[in-house]
Amino acid sequence: MSVIEDLITELARLPGIGRKTAQRLTYHLLRQPTDRAVHLAEGLQSVAERVAPCPEWGTPTEHERCGYCSDPKRDDGLLCVVEEPSGVEVVERSTEFRGRYHVLGGHLSPLDGVGPDALRLEPLVRRVQGGGVREVILATNPSMEGEATATYIQQLLTGERVKVTRLARGLPMGGDLEYIDGVTLSHALLAREEVGR
Amino acid sequence: MWLEGLVARGFRNLAPTELTLPPEGIALLGANAQGKTNLLEALYYSVLFRSFRGATDSELARFDGPGFRVESTVMRTGKTGTIATEFRVAPKRKRIEVDGAESSRLMEAMGHWVAVAFLPSDVVLASGPGAERRRYLDRLLCLADSRYLTALTRYRSVLSQRNAALRHERRDVVQAFDEALASAGAAIVSSRVRWADTATSMFAEEFAALGEQETVGLSYRGRAELAAVDAWPGAIEEAWPADSKRGVTTVGPHRDDLILEIGGRALREYGSTGQQRSAVIALKLLELSTLSEAYGTEPALVLDDVFAELDTERQNRLVTRLDEGARRQVFVTAPRRDELPEGLTLPVWNVKEGRVTCP
Ligand SMILES: [Zn+2]
Repeated sequence: MSVIEDLITELARLPGIGRKTAQRLTYHLLRQPTDRAVHLAEGLQSVAERVAPCPEWGTPTEHERCGYCSDPKRDDGLLCVVEEPSGVEVVERSTEFRGRYHVLGGHLSPLDGVGPDALRLEPLVRRVQGGGVREVILATNPSMEGEATATYIQQLLTGERVKVTRLARGLPMGGDLEYIDGVTLSHALLAREEVGR
Repeated sequence: MWLEGLVARGFRNLAPTELTLPPEGIALLGANAQGKTNLLEALYYSVLFRSFRGATDSELARFDGPGFRVESTVMRTGKTGTIATEFRVAPKRKRIEVDGAESSRLMEAMGHWVAVAFLPSDVVLASGPGAERRRYLDRLLCLADSRYLTALTRYRSVLSQRNAALRHERRDVVQAFDEALASAGAAIVSSRVRWADTATSMFAEEFAALGEQETVGLSYRGRAELAAVDAWPGAIEEAWPADSKRGVTTVGPHRDDLILEIGGRALREYGSTGQQRSAVIALKLLELSTLSEAYGTEPALVLDDVFAELDTERQNRLVTRLDEGARRQVFVTAPRRDELPEGLTLPVWNVKEGRVTCP
């Protein structure tokens, strides 16, 4: 197989790109000055070598930790606990929250074999015990399982020197954080309730 | 409220059906296995969006067919509305539309067409186990109050999560679900208790109206105090030894029952067959009046071959009772005209080999 064929095959593996488009892209690159293609290749190589998931919640970053986790302007004392990385995006997009995040990687669901050990709970406790966190805000989804997960964490943090709050009720039941409008979420975040210390 | 039109395609053994129905209803005659019950099943489908016989949607689809479509046109206070369900067998897909707009949640689709169905198998309400009466209560209250449906759905899922946690022997995880169990459970118990309080005397009246002499009782058997969320933590704590031993949740409305009594004794054991049938009719009439009050309109009544099971006196009293009060649409089936009570004056239609004909 020729190197041109190789490139076409590789490009065609990308989502949304069929063989026809891959061919067109390849011939487009071949018509450009050589350094354009070299730049693209270098870009791909750097991304592959230097970008890794943030150890805190898996968002891609080329630094040790992502912007949310390393930004010095963010308040280390506030920790918002969400189920999935998408929850971080939602809270960021729709509220004024400027603290840190902790992503659990799901919610409790014994029926599906998801117990506490399958969630990132130990790192959460370690983070709290490490000091510096004044308040843990539980922002799990307002589904039954999300609520149960929040209750579980609340129990888990009982006795730790930290304030634990939950989003104010009034979020639609059985929902997903992602589908709640920003106003409702901002309001729920402002009106969060202390649930134990 | 009445059903003005019914379209059924690919449904059981029914030929493609498009009917315009009279406001008073019809008496549908046909020999066994010609499609009488199937037509009633299609008539009732848009009430709960499932079979009144507990069949799955795949079973409702014509054998070897791609799926079914049921479309009900309902007339209510001078306005018509259309509820349509399209079901595909493979890949399995069900789509419900109300007035042309897709309803993604069952709750939004329910309540546009309301009817009460009475089948010969309903005698288990009087003679069968508590699960039958719980099903009766749940169906009734889900239709009467959408908040009940929400609570019930939530309760069922929290119960299965909590039971799974019990099987894994993780008390900490079990406890995480206690709060949800309590809030959904309390909503269910309070609805049921409230209904049973008003239903007790109505049940006795309906039973007497059917010509029965003995006094009957209806009461809710369960821990009525669990209608309050505050009562739950204590009850859950108390149930812990049993819960952990058996690996299931032993406290809550999923174990409650509706107690029916005759002359102070259990109807299930001491009632005669005739008395049990009258009691079931009384429960169905109770369902009718509960729904009529909830909706402010008279639901239709769907009776599948029930007259044959009753003696002449009970037949006549039921017909008299149905003629009383508000006008409602009634659908009845029987194998032959002479098996219907004489007082019943509905237009007679026929069904043969899945084809419905009106004279
Ligand atoms: Zn990070």
